[in-house]
Amino acid sequence: MKYVATIGDREYIIEIVDERHVVVDGVNYEVDFESLSGQPVHSLLVNDRSFEAHVYPSDEGWQVLLRGNLYELQVEDERERRLRASMGGGPIAAGEYHLKSPMPGLVVALPVEEGHQIKKGDVLVILESMKMQNELKSPRDGTVSRVRVKPGDSVEQKETLLSVL
Amino acid sequence: MFSKVLIANRGEIAVRVIRACRELGMQTVAVYSEADRQALHVRHADEAYLLGPAPSRGSYLRADKIIQIARKSGAGAIHPGYGFLAERADFAQACLDEGLAYIGPKPSSIAAMGDKAVARATVAASGVPVVPGTEGEGSLTDEQLLDLAPKIGFPLLIKATAGGGGKGMREVRNLKEMPSLLHSARREAEASFGDGNVYLEKLVEGARHIEIQILADNHGNVIHLGERECSMQRRHQKLLEESPSPFVGDDEELRQRMGEVAVRAAQAVDYLNAGTIEFLVDKDKNFFFLEMNTRLQVEHPVTEMVTGVDIVKEQIRIARGRQMRHTQEDINLNGWAIECRINAEDAYNNFLPSTGQISHMIIPTGPGVRVDTGVYPGFEISPYYDSLISKLIVHGETRGEAILRMRRALEEYKIVGVRTNIPFHQHLMDSHRFMGGQYDTRFVEERFSMDAAEEGKEDLSEIAAILAALVAHQQTERAAHIIQRGERDTSNWKWVGRWERIHR
Repeated sequence: MKYVATIGDREYIIEIVDERHVVVDGVNYEVDFESLSGQPVHSLLVNDRSFEAHVYPSDEGWQVLLRGNLYELQVEDERERRLRASMGGGPIAAGEYHLKSPMPGLVVALPVEEGHQIKKGDVLVILESMKMQNELKSPRDGTVSRVRVKPGDSVEQKETLLSVL
Repeated sequence: MFSKVLIANRGEIAVRVIRACRELGMQTVAVYSEADRQALHVRHADEAYLLGPAPSRGSYLRADKIIQIARKSGAGAIHPGYGFLAERADFAQACLDEGLAYIGPKPSSIAAMGDKAVARATVAASGVPVVPGTEGEGSLTDEQLLDLAPKIGFPLLIKATAGGGGKGMREVRNLKEMPSLLHSARREAEASFGDGNVYLEKLVEGARHIEIQILADNHGNVIHLGERECSMQRRHQKLLEESPSPFVGDDEELRQRMGEVAVRAAQAVDYLNAGTIEFLVDKDKNFFFLEMNTRLQVEHPVTEMVTGVDIVKEQIRIARGRQMRHTQEDINLNGWAIECRINAEDAYNNFLPSTGQISHMIIPTGPGVRVDTGVYPGFEISPYYDSLISKLIVHGETRGEAILRMRRALEEYKIVGVRTNIPFHQHLMDSHRFMGGQYDTRFVEERFSMDAAEEGKEDLSEIAAILAALVAHQQTERAAHIIQRGERDTSNWKWVGRWERIHR
């Protein structure tokens, strides 16, 4: 099976030949890949070099935490890639963005209101958790379309707090 | 004289105090909230009593209940740890009124130093230099503070009178933004300490935060255990400490001078037990009294590593009315120690707190490594308490050795289930500025980035790509297995039957 892994603007064509062999951009590698005790911690031997990494699925693809560095990547197999290419490719047009609570906590303040024009980096919600006040910022420009919480509310992790259009 | 100690705290510090008691052959009493039934301090203690619901107001801040439990369990002393009730004069007094030894200073010293504004006035009167601010004014209203601010000059800091650990602290650049910052500082101070009073202090720019550990006994002896460098901070939260300070370095004269001033500040409030005098040090090595922490500090282990003094045991010894085991002449700083605070905060996502269950953990060991922690695999990190889950401390003959050892230990440290700031510390250990000891309290915010790779570091993008592809592949395969039938050589029913027999 062939995969395309993208990190930033770099692409790697990775062919998984069998359990012990992968080909990256035409170069053969001997690999030995193990998950450690059922955890998202993986041990990888590549041509006898030993690596250990945390690999997490994320909203955008995968996150690999390797020797203190976090690599954010997308992995597609050939079929997915062809499918996307035939659909015109490119990232999906920006729709509504839902700000989800990254952790359980208490809404301390909402500096914005429905209808407010906001810029990328503007503070949308101040959430208190672990005795710290955390500013949740907007990832893009837009208009606040729906506010679902108010100051004093306790929220769960991944609960939608507000939406930006 | 007591032989049973109640630890009025949780987390790594409760475990730390229990360890000291154990080594001294003392009985230990833990208290816990509903969220902490499975916490390590409960498991390690000889006795454990439920305080109440998870929020600290209903549990770890319930002074009345804690004293009741002390009485019920027959504990003769209370160790407050840090945070929660650790710097509350009324709590210390209530302990004494009950005939309990309080393992810490006298209530009067806590009160004098605990009100940061009064503290500054008191030490200033004994000739200790202080940073300009609204010291000795008592509690002021917003209007009074707004009035005083231009006289001190901007930039300045709003600080919680009952504060510590950066809680309720705000930096103010101009008068316009001050009212809203005052509001949020008071709110945070009220939430953290149950006291919304704040004061103002001039912001010394390019400053280093260096503190001196003090020990004082009932027999008139006051000694200092050298300094700790605490400039590595983010939003006024310390992230890493070292002893000695690379800034003080081999300037033995400066070290002794700061030590003597610290001793004088402690004597100004008739201090007893362990305490810490925090100084701001400017580029020209002028130092100013910042505040005194009348308790055990989070970062006390670095001092323990270089001096060989067990500060917690010494605290207990002093509380029992004994003389300290050391005189000033005995204290030498040997080698170098560094502590990294491991927080459940995502270093790659703006240090947002991370909660959840720790599913897997490998703690670094080996020569010169110490880990103080209150968590273990299976333990749930809740949003109710602060995000410090562990302290990783290393000792080396030199600073260089300590840094290399810390690098090694950080790479060994595996925590799965919550995101941590371990990657932050790893980047820090590779930073040339950190290696050169060139950092001030603004370093993390102004000159540090998780993205900037230091020169000479191997780019492992390709390895990361292989890993992600393999994990993605595994996932697709597994999904395919679930759908496909008859993949096995026998029917699935037979296979299940065999499997069940094996596991019977």
